Amino acid sequence: MDRDRRQLLLMLLPYLVGLVALVLLPAVATMAMAFTESDLIATSRFVGLANFVELTRDPAVRAAVGNSLSYLAVSVPLRLVLAVGLALLLHRRARAAGTARVAVLLPGAVPELAYGLMWLWLLNPIQGPVNQLLLLGGEGGRTMFGTLPPQWLTDPEDARAGIVLMSLFTIGETFVIVLTARLALPPEAYELAELEGARAGQVLRRVTLPLLAPVLAVLVLRDTLMSLQASFVPTLVVTGGGPPPYATTYLSLVLYQDAFEYLRYGYAAAVAALMLGLTAVAVLIQWRLLRRWASSGAVGVEVRRPGN
Amino acid sequence: MKRTAALLSLLFLVTAAGCAGDAEPAADTVSLLVAGTPDELAAYRSLAAEYQKASPGATVNLIEASSAKDLMTRVSTSVAGNAAPDLFLINYRNYGQFAVKGALAPLTARLAASGSLHERDFYPQAMGAFRWGGEQMCLPQNISSLAVYYNRSLFQKYEVAEPVAGWHWNDLVATAQALTRDAGGRTVKAGDPETAGVPAAVHGLGVAPELIRLAPLIWSNGGDIVDDPAKPTRLTLDTPEARQVIQDFLDLTKVGVVPSDVEVEAQDYEARFAAGKLAMFVSSRRVTTAFRAITGFEWDVAPLPQYRSPANILHSDAYCMTKASSRQDAAWRFLEYALSDPGAALMARTGRTVPSRISVATSPAFLSPGTPPARSQIFLDTIPALRPVPTISTWPEIEDATGKVLENAFFHGDPLDKVIADLDAATRPVFARGTAAR
Repeated sequence: MDRDRRQLLLMLLPYLVGLVALVLLPAVATMAMAFTESDLIATSRFVGLANFVELTRDPAVRAAVGNSLSYLAVSVPLRLVLAVGLALLLHRRARAAGTARVAVLLPGAVPELAYGLMWLWLLNPIQGPVNQLLLLGGEGGRTMFGTLPPQWLTDPEDARAGIVLMSLFTIGETFVIVLTARLALPPEAYELAELEGARAGQVLRRVTLPLLAPVLAVLVLRDTLMSLQASFVPTLVVTGGGPPPYATTYLSLVLYQDAFEYLRYGYAAAVAALMLGLTAVAVLIQWRLLRRWASSGAVGVEVRRPGN
Repeated sequence: MKRTAALLSLLFLVTAAGCAGDAEPAADTVSLLVAGTPDELAAYRSLAAEYQKASPGATVNLIEASSAKDLMTRVSTSVAGNAAPDLFLINYRNYGQFAVKGALAPLTARLAASGSLHERDFYPQAMGAFRWGGEQMCLPQNISSLAVYYNRSLFQKYEVAEPVAGWHWNDLVATAQALTRDAGGRTVKAGDPETAGVPAAVHGLGVAPELIRLAPLIWSNGGDIVDDPAKPTRLTLDTPEARQVIQDFLDLTKVGVVPSDVEVEAQDYEARFAAGKLAMFVSSRRVTTAFRAITGFEWDVAPLPQYRSPANILHSDAYCMTKASSRQDAAWRFLEYALSDPGAALMARTGRTVPSRISVATSPAFLSPGTPPARSQIFLDTIPALRPVPTISTWPEIEDATGKVLENAFFHGDPLDKVIADLDAATRPVFARGTAAR
């Protein structure tokens, strides 16, 4: 091994040690725990596939899988569209652009628990500012469109929408990455498009998005990986998994309750395994779609097969 | 070389400092894990301070959890991590999870040998709730029950008779109807065309749709909530006695005397009562501390209404000692103080608890003449009629599962047969996984 490689390995070592000790080993231990009845107090008992069989019969888990997948399907694209839109809007030097960028970033800096408590107030069905705002211009307790305001904490559909709404304001990290990527795009490409007489929409479709596509692909995969966990604090603090029985019960909440409220760590580990499996499937589907689009030239992701 | 020596010296100092930080606490140091509201936590801080004053050299490390569920999480993870607190305070409905797993140190022998604490000092109903496998696993700190908190000023304003001992459930509903009023003070009746669509500014009653609220009413009507209280395998809410009570309970929404789910989400029962928007509120003693801050109106407590005979549900928390504690003797000394007359009186004065120690419960420290509620005696009068819920290790799960079904039924009017079937389906597997105490 030459000197450069040794140095590289030495520099990587602390991270690798942390990765193995704090991520991989606990993950392996969790997967092993999924085959046991374990409460961390008494001796664990091997139960084979019993926890996984119970998962298939558990109404909370069945509801949580549906809720988690619908959250993933709605929240991930919306967050990305919003982050890209804001990044493209705010990448130019303009009056108050800096302040606006800070405003986009700021909600992500608020501690999750405080963020959840703030939304508990914002979504209060009677005194909450969100519904007060929606009632402006309306009469008789209705909005200006003549509809009743959303019942964020008592109607299942509205509650799920509320959880997605909360996720749309914590896009600071995605926004910064897209903003940086946009600022790094070559100005020549835009000058050329201007010379060709391309309109704004065409520039966006033919120049900006294809050039940003590799970054966006990574962000989609990253947000997908995170989304099954991101719904945890909002549901714990704001909706408690309700309206009952399971309107906003997501897999992360089921895991938490089984492990830390009911002391069923073995069963909770099986839920964690299910989450991992679902995330892997979602990422695989997205990866295959991206590869297909890349090979058809729809996006700028360069796909290299092993050996190419 | 000098730099290396200096670095090694620094490393040694840092390591030594770290080791000093990890040193075992003194033998008279006790860690106590409690959960509660800021008022309750302040009371525990006072208790710890008084104990330290009364026992020179002793120290209490108070570990504060934000809620009962947070406390359960902390106990389980700390026991698993071999860093369990010496003592923790827990409700009898939740301690079974730890008792069945052998995480608690039995206190029977210590109690028998104690010079200052005796079994006869405590209400037997509370002591019995913490007996597991024939052993006294924890010592009760309080013995509460359900009562009806009522806004006396509203009763007087609308000239409605105040509740009396032995009143029937139907009396409660009629009283609630008489007190459900719009902003102009007119009664609002569900189904009455004259008041249709008129929002109630004051609701007659607030009661959470929970199994522990229904249980005493079912007992009072001659029914039971489980097939075998000693070794339950299922809920028995399909009996005529239980069906009648559940139907009456679910009808409260139709009668229009309780706030809707939207109103409760906007402002919970406790806050609504304190704001003068609820005439009556069914709760245990725990809300008393917060209600003592009410200045806008007079309030008091009344006994829980009944069907055929008096019945009420036991609410009790106890100090439990962990088996893993290395300072059990010191922990016991703290327990002896906390449950003595001065220690129990200190907690009683907060208003939050009904003391489990008979001498303090019957003293001015609890009955507190001149401080609301004036009728604190009703908490003591109901003690002979108290019943515990079954002590089974999975009881917290059963309460959560039934709570979801009942909340839906209460606010959305599910039919009775469906409610009972759903409650049974949601709890059977949980009962099957549980281990009973006796």
